[in-house]
Amino acid sequence: MLKLIQNEWMKLWSRKSSWIMIILLAVILFSSSAITKWVDNSMNTANTETWQQLEAAEMANNLILLENNSLGDVRREYLEGEVAIAEHRLENDVAPFDSNSMQQSVIDSHALMSLVTLFTVIVAGGIVAAEFSQGTIKMLLTRPVKRWKILSSKFITTMLYALLLAVVLFIVTAVAGLIFYGVSDGTYLVWNGSEVVEGSFWLEGLRLAALSFVNVLMISTFAFMLGTAFRSSSLAIGLSIFLLFTGVQAVFLLANYEIVKYYLFTHTDLTQYYTGFMLVDDITMTLSVIVLFVYFVIFMAISYVTFGKRDVTA
Amino acid sequence: MNEQALVQIKNLSKTIGSKKIIKNLNLDLYKGQITGFLGPNGAGKTTTIRMMVGLMKPTEGDVLIDGQSVKHHFEESIEKVGVIVENPEMYKYMSGYKNLLHFSRMHKGISKKRINEVIEQVGMQNRINEKVGSYSLGMRQRLGLAQALLHKPKFLILDEPTNGLDPAGIWEFRLYLQKIARENGVAVFVSSHLLSEIELLCDRIAIIQNGELIDIKNVKELQQSRFYLKAEPLAQTEEILAGIGFPVSRHDGGLLVETEPEHIPGAIKILVNAEVSIFAIQPFQATLEDQFLELTGGGEIAQAHTK
Repeated sequence: MLKLIQNEWMKLWSRKSSWIMIILLAVILFSSSAITKWVDNSMNTANTETWQQLEAAEMANNLILLENNSLGDVRREYLEGEVAIAEHRLENDVAPFDSNSMQQSVIDSHALMSLVTLFTVIVAGGIVAAEFSQGTIKMLLTRPVKRWKILSSKFITTMLYALLLAVVLFIVTAVAGLIFYGVSDGTYLVWNGSEVVEGSFWLEGLRLAALSFVNVLMISTFAFMLGTAFRSSSLAIGLSIFLLFTGVQAVFLLANYEIVKYYLFTHTDLTQYYTGFMLVDDITMTLSVIVLFVYFVIFMAISYVTFGKRDVTA
Repeated sequence: MNEQALVQIKNLSKTIGSKKIIKNLNLDLYKGQITGFLGPNGAGKTTTIRMMVGLMKPTEGDVLIDGQSVKHHFEESIEKVGVIVENPEMYKYMSGYKNLLHFSRMHKGISKKRINEVIEQVGMQNRINEKVGSYSLGMRQRLGLAQALLHKPKFLILDEPTNGLDPAGIWEFRLYLQKIARENGVAVFVSSHLLSEIELLCDRIAIIQNGELIDIKNVKELQQSRFYLKAEPLAQTEEILAGIGFPVSRHDGGLLVETEPEHIPGAIKILVNAEVSIFAIQPFQATLEDQFLELTGGGEIAQAHTK
């Protein structure tokens, strides 16, 4: 199996597009930091409030939100934590990170994980389909290796590529933050349920990135399935990217129906349990993990069955 | 030859939709023997070959390679097979060497030394590090042969192998196949529509039409010695020759006599004594093409099935 992955890895890097996507990712991240910096510089007069004023305003806003009785548990807990942290900051004079700082960039790095999804989908949709369109599938399947092993090696390679992109995302965001914003004074605080304690912004950034990576995993597995089942990389890539951008919108359309709880895109963003932006109120992390797992199993089952049974006539 | 067959095709059938494309095919292939697979377009050659290498699943029947079923023991059986199915499609964006490295990793225990050995055998040393995209069709064929030979297969399946080779390449290729068949005891199965090529290359020919195996012939049998005789009166000549035990048949206003050359002078003497006027006698060589057309009914193309 290791040799098969080695093969897929070699083929992946023999294509220029794999390199271009990594470079493009780095370039986009760098330039977005640079542009933010430039925009801030050109209108730095607007930002005259102190962090104390901002914290107090946010806390007041959160308290108003908390008065709403129909709030879901997860959201309520999150808001209470935010209020506790803000109180702690104001009482003890502990400043947060500047919004343009290396530390804040690390924490927010997951926000651009959709770029990783976008590029991974291109690989995932094409990795099987291309073998069919080039005709190399018949050379690949007339070897003493069972088909499921070949498909597994392709899936694992896709995920390794995604992981590499995610690591690039994380590192480049940190480096660009350091170059353009610099290190800010301030402390990262977390609410552990009973008290406010100091936390590591690196760990928080990594945790959010890891949770966002689940989204990459789900969408690229979907693209992988389409590419395997329909042998058309353009269909797989097109449809997956379309869903990547519209799938979440459908959550709002379905919001009033029970079915929304079992809809894939209600659950793909697991960071919602840590950032407080819940799409639907009464879902829990456990439900999300179960739903995502079921979708994953279905996508994989379809991929393996169609690939294993197909008569190759290409 | 009372040898156990290396490859046994047993009752192989394939139905696509409602159409039975391959009908209960049975064929044995032996070590050291090159078997040609001939048939008009759409007869089911490629479908048969694809079922033999596991690209398609037979509706019924099975293929045994060295006693192992392709259906049930895929890895064990395919290990012994080298395959070129139609044009050998390679990864164009990688060098020839990387392509071979890629395929070698899918077999057990192929060393770098073996890869280099095969590269030399097919005469690709000079351009092996160039991208396959820059190769001519002939070079791709050579690379295709190289990948099929990497793991020293006991059984080699080739679908239209000489397509795109120049005459010198074809000649070299033929000698090479015959050499590995004789010396290494490899069973070779070649499908082709180039009848003359099959005739020169193969020991045995299987002919398929409309999904059915209609004939298996040894090439030696095809090249049996026959003579064409033109004589008057024809009926009397036929009677005399048949009377003394020669197999005779009518052909093109004369007679075809199946016999070895050393019997001809004696036969002529008898005919002259019987006062038959002989106008011509000459060796008769039916080409494989004639026989092929004869067997397949003028070579009409079988109803095309949807690929």
